[in-house]
Amino acid sequence: MKEITAIIRRDKLHETKKVLDELGYPSVSIQSVDGRGKQRGAVCDNDLDPELPDKYCTSVKLTPTPSTYALEHTLPKVALFVPKRMLTMVVPDDVVSKLVKSIIKVNRTGKTGDGKIFISPVESALRVRTGEKDGEAIA
Amino acid sequence: MKMIRAFIRPEKEQEVVLALEGSGFPSLTKMPVFGRGKQKGLQVGPVHYDELPKTLIMMVVDDKDVAKVIGIINDKARTGFIGDGKIFTSPVDGVYTVRTGEAAL
Repeated sequence: MKEITAIIRRDKLHETKKVLDELGYPSVSIQSVDGRGKQRGAVCDNDLDPELPDKYCTSVKLTPTPSTYALEHTLPKVALFVPKRMLTMVVPDDVVSKLVKSIIKVNRTGKTGDGKIFISPVESALRVRTGEKDGEAIA
Repeated sequence: MKMIRAFIRPEKEQEVVLALEGSGFPSLTKMPVFGRGKQKGLQVGPVHYDELPKTLIMMVVDDKDVAKVIGIINDKARTGFIGDGKIFTSPVDGVYTVRTGEAAL
């Protein structure tokens, strides 16, 4: 069993769920998270995520006047984050590569901020309702 | 690769993130969580808080950087009082970047 953790764009969630549905693995936990990557949370183009509120847009540059210079140099440095959706699912070993490929295919736009997918091992699983273990629990 | 999950005080989040960024680890995911520890929450006079707000910071780093990252988080998130949080490390088998489709961070 493996756990797939995919951190994706908010507006791709629906399509991703649909694809997982079609592949026969609809079980997924979804969480709203804030993230940042190599670009340190900078969003330079509004078409990265149209739902992004203005405060997340860091592309607006103030015109350099003495007062804006003072503003930029006296305000404390703040770490920026971009809102994302995190999908977590536990699946059998043999379908991991198939699911990863599909998730990448759906979420890929070629621009920064497409997200990351992590695969980690899971030792055991238990279905609370029936008490089924491991493979049966996630089937 | 290892996944580091750190449960820290929400007010220490910016300090930790900026310290990590300064050491070359800008990438992370954070989420607000509620939890309790050994002390079963917090007792303030007659009021008992069972679950306290924390920030969960999640990041995946190379094996060789794990000790360094944990050191930075530990250093910046510590106040010496109960409720400073915990750091967990777990193995990660595979990492994919969606933009390129490559199996790399």
